[in-house]
Amino acid sequence: MYLRVELSWNVVVSAEQLHGEGLLLQRALILQLLEDFSNRKANSDYGYFVAPTALERIGDGKVRQDSGDVLFPVVFKCITFKPFKGEILCGVVNKIMKQGVFLSCGPIEKVFLAAIKMGDYHHFPGENPVFQNDKDSKIEKNVQVRFKVLGTKWIETDREFQILGSLEGDYLGPIYKGEI
Amino acid sequence: MSEQEEENAAELKIGEEFLKAKCLMNCEVALILDRKFDQLQAMSSDPMSQVSQVFEKSQQYVKRFSRYKNADAVRQVREILSRYQLAEFELCVLGNLCPETADEAKAMVPSITTKERGCTDENIEKMLNDLSLIKKFE
Repeated sequence: MYLRVELSWNVVVSAEQLHGEGLLLQRALILQLLEDFSNRKANSDYGYFVAPTALERIGDGKVRQDSGDVLFPVVFKCITFKPFKGEILCGVVNKIMKQGVFLSCGPIEKVFLAAIKMGDYHHFPGENPVFQNDKDSKIEKNVQVRFKVLGTKWIETDREFQILGSLEGDYLGPIYKGEI
Repeated sequence: MSEQEEENAAELKIGEEFLKAKCLMNCEVALILDRKFDQLQAMSSDPMSQVSQVFEKSQQYVKRFSRYKNADAVRQVREILSRYQLAEFELCVLGNLCPETADEAKAMVPSITTKERGCTDENIEKMLNDLSLIKKFE
């Protein structure tokens, strides 16, 4: 689910960028915030950092004695994307394997549907491997799939989430153009 | 949420802070990200280099999975869904997945059938019907 959240971060403006007063300082601060926002990518509480939308407050800066850099507490609003256990999401198939299917879902690149959690779908190997059920419904590369989130895992070293998904349930599975 | 194990969006157990956080539908995110992208385009000749991977992937995703494209339609969808006693999270799941029948809606958002919501099949049908009208007139 995409969320609109308010975050409080400390932004460090380096001493070299402090010449300008007023607007120039604010510009340096915003640029630094945007850079930090992209670099941090995600956290376990709010998920992936998609886009900042509004700067709410800039607090009083504190000078760092050793470097002369100034640290500003900043409050801003942004959009994030966080997967929740039990949530129904849509994804796009990246890879089909005997053991199951990998999907991507927005910024999340590792959504795994294990073959045993795919209900009546069975693996058919070949040049273009597919999962198919007896109603001729096909899951192959680039197909859009609606799945349920069984579990989420935050991987601190890569700053990303991994999702374990399932097709066991009504109204889950591949979706075709025109339907979402 | 103290115990990760307890999280279950199907029962709307997703932690107090997230029930209060504003959830956004894919179509709303698409409008916001497109506007951001246009701003960047106005400032830079190569806007793609200015956006993060997370931004780019999100933008592709919300474009692909949005039923409603224009700003008026998107506003109406939220307006219609807001008439029912839905939590933010439930509202956005319905807006994203656009179920066609009451049974599908209940399968996608099982929490709407709890007592506090009081969504009867009749209510849900009416809601889905109103939503499908927006699509027709978009």
